[in-house]
Amino acid sequence: MSEIMENPKGGCVLAGINSVLGALDRVCPIYHSGPGCCMQTTASDQGQSGHKHSCFVNSVSIPSSNMLEKEVVFGGLNKLRTTIQGAVDIIDADAYFVLTGCTAGIIGDDIASVTNEFFEKGIPVYPIETPGFTGDSNLGYETVWNTFLDKVIEKDVPKDEKLVNVFGIIPYHDPFWSGTLEEIDRILSRLGLRVNTFFTKKQGIEDVKKSSAAALNIIVNPWIFKGPAAKYESKFGVPSLRIPGLFVGATDTTKFIRKVSEALHLDNDLVEQVIASEEEYVYHYLGQSIGALSWKRFAVVADANAAIGYTKYLANDYSFTPVLVIVSEPIFRPEDKEAIIKEISDLEYARPPKVLFLTDQYEINKAIREEEQEITLLVGSSNDREIALEKEIQFILGSFPMSERLIFNRTYAGYRGSLTFTEDIYDNN
Amino acid sequence: MAKVTYSGVRESKPGRLNDLGSTGQEVSENFKKGCLKRADRSFAQGLQCQQINSLAALMSLEDSVFISHSPQGCVGCAIMAIDMYRVGQIHRGIRNVKNPRLIVTNLDQKSVVFGGEKKLRESVAKAVDRYHPKLTFVFASCASGIIGDDIDAICGDLQNEYPETLIIPIHCEGFKSKICASGFDAAFISINKYILKHQKVEKEAGLINLFAPTTVSYADQKEMERMLQLLGAKVNYIPFYSSLEKIKKIPAAEASTSICKVFADEFMKTLYEDYDIPYSHTVMPIGIRNTDKWYRGIAKVIGKEKEVEEIIQKEHERIEPLVKKLRDRLSGKRVFICGGTGRSFAAAALIDDFGMKLVGLETPTYDDDAQVDIEYLNGIHKDFVVDIANMQPFEQVNLVKKLQPDAFIGVPDWAAKLGIPTTHVLDGKRPTMGYDGLLFLGNKIADQLENPGFNKKLAAHVKLPYKESWYSEDAFKYITKGEN
Repeated sequence: MSEIMENPKGGCVLAGINSVLGALDRVCPIYHSGPGCCMQTTASDQGQSGHKHSCFVNSVSIPSSNMLEKEVVFGGLNKLRTTIQGAVDIIDADAYFVLTGCTAGIIGDDIASVTNEFFEKGIPVYPIETPGFTGDSNLGYETVWNTFLDKVIEKDVPKDEKLVNVFGIIPYHDPFWSGTLEEIDRILSRLGLRVNTFFTKKQGIEDVKKSSAAALNIIVNPWIFKGPAAKYESKFGVPSLRIPGLFVGATDTTKFIRKVSEALHLDNDLVEQVIASEEEYVYHYLGQSIGALSWKRFAVVADANAAIGYTKYLANDYSFTPVLVIVSEPIFRPEDKEAIIKEISDLEYARPPKVLFLTDQYEINKAIREEEQEITLLVGSSNDREIALEKEIQFILGSFPMSERLIFNRTYAGYRGSLTFTEDIYDNN
Repeated sequence: MAKVTYSGVRESKPGRLNDLGSTGQEVSENFKKGCLKRADRSFAQGLQCQQINSLAALMSLEDSVFISHSPQGCVGCAIMAIDMYRVGQIHRGIRNVKNPRLIVTNLDQKSVVFGGEKKLRESVAKAVDRYHPKLTFVFASCASGIIGDDIDAICGDLQNEYPETLIIPIHCEGFKSKICASGFDAAFISINKYILKHQKVEKEAGLINLFAPTTVSYADQKEMERMLQLLGAKVNYIPFYSSLEKIKKIPAAEASTSICKVFADEFMKTLYEDYDIPYSHTVMPIGIRNTDKWYRGIAKVIGKEKEVEEIIQKEHERIEPLVKKLRDRLSGKRVFICGGTGRSFAAAALIDDFGMKLVGLETPTYDDDAQVDIEYLNGIHKDFVVDIANMQPFEQVNLVKKLQPDAFIGVPDWAAKLGIPTTHVLDGKRPTMGYDGLLFLGNKIADQLENPGFNKKLAAHVKLPYKESWYSEDAFKYITKGEN
């Protein structure tokens, strides 16, 4: 199910799969697709996420069968076979995943028959039979984890009570993914946990394989990863804790710590000590800059995770006034929408903002243009700058897609990220 | 003899090929003997599809909506044109920067089974309702092509429903061509068919069509316009940053030329055949030799040979002392070049201005046009490798590691990780063209060579994904003789 969209944010399912695989160390996607899919699907997510690309292979360095008219008519399995062989011969990867483009999907090429030839010889080549037209980047994230759960993750790995897996932060579909995972890792490590972020610290396929040892999956996202989470539990006995939105700032990050601590029965003294020192760190800075940021009535256009995080921080921790929140990623399940609205509306003192679910840029612009209440700050993506310029609203580039800034490891999430977010909102004009 | 209609697929031209490993001397001789056969690669990395080029060619047009009849992924690369459009507005002093109006029909499983006509109709209805555009372009995709959506018929039908907007289908299905420049041709074929329609218009004295793709910076546009104005010409700069009105003016021109070798080259032939507009198709105006050649080419067509020589002489007097300084810094340095058709050959000519030596050249296609350039390069450089490849970084890194050039010109991602100083000649945001662009590029190359620390340190820390064994293999191992 896909909707007509103006200025869509992100790519097809292939783009999501490519982003996730590209964020793992030494994992090589192989495209069985038309000639442009490698470049298109890299540009749609990695290319609009702060100009950071997978360091291993991306875009035109990804092996591809480049299906042309001949393959469309006669099938492309021979081309796929020689492409995989070449990739295995020259690319020094720990695992290879064959992805299906629309062309291969529509003509019905049986890619698993070819990947099996390699797998039987002991070469780790896995098929992912989800053609581009079946969904968007978000689905790609779940598709990869479902593939891992079905084919890669090992059973009977000894349990590690201090190991946790972190999910819900989508590489390259979230421009701050790297910094966010590092901040989450930093905080959980202080609690004495070992953390699988999978996409930082040069983690790779071995960490994925052994992820069944974890004591807990922590899903930082209000709606994504329900299917894989259920499978982790039923197949590997790893339970999940859902954090229903990104935590930005002291209030929500502390809540996050308490929830994890409760789920894992962590040492209370240690937990309280960590919370106290982290909050002290944040307020030590906030206290040095009182009144530097003028009062704002704000709007947010972002994916659900960031929309929740930004709104709650600005409203609860910074006493700004929320006016309008637009969740701009496609969300189809009504119960997910309800949960997101509840999360955004659950504010300490501020009145809840209007919450809309819009993916189409024309409709997003229209909603902001026609908003009757005054807006003086808009946190959004590169696509949302136009309406901010039109309405002369201060604009902060804080969500995907993001093409006007370079982002390595910065984040707006967690304790430290909230300081960066606040720095960026400062406006001397 | 009946005129053969060009399909827009660049491979349809006899003697044009995309897969070959050779040397300058060998390829030139084999081409002359007619021994070059179309080949393939049994292993390859991703390409750029033609749909990317069709979209990029048009996406800065005013009063237009662009509809990609495809799944969502097929507008990924549109970000490059979107970014150029946004930055282009900033460079042109526009404060309220706009997004291009790009709509994706978002073909899905249902469309694959039942067809995507309904989604296309709804998208066009939205385009008209929202923007009342003068132009609505509909871009085909692999998916729309394979499921058999007849976009011509649907657009024809919609045209009756919405007479106030021109609805223009463009056949840029990715699987039809390995050469992304085919997408430029597909766009121009539709412009001729749906906008110009073979109608003769009144000629406008001194008007020249200057065809330019999105990758040409505003600085370069101004330089090209300045040069043509010095010849007394009025410039119709299209299609980048132009409009329906400017497109309609194309047949009124006295002559045409293009900034890129593979942009509007076929279209200019068509304009000559359909509207008697003479044209100059030479080279990309990068470097002294190429800028001269480009300039003389268009001057000849409009009968300004004498005038152009005077200007060229003046420009040379101004520029040559500065180029000499660069030559002192760069002379004798060995260079590997990788780029698109226009820029790769232009860069190869550019390095001769600085007395540098060509050791390797990677360019996407070989044909009679490339042969002219290769013969010219063979006259200057004794021995250089030719890799006919659309990128294919695995071949490139193999060659670069073996050849160990002093400098690499082209997409820097891979050579940089080998520690080689890198410079790109494709910069849509800064100058590269004409006499002044030359200095900008020369200084960029010389400064990189003088101060290569970043790439050297990078190479010590970041490894390319290839196995060590690959570097000792034949770079052209996967090029198969004959078509696969």
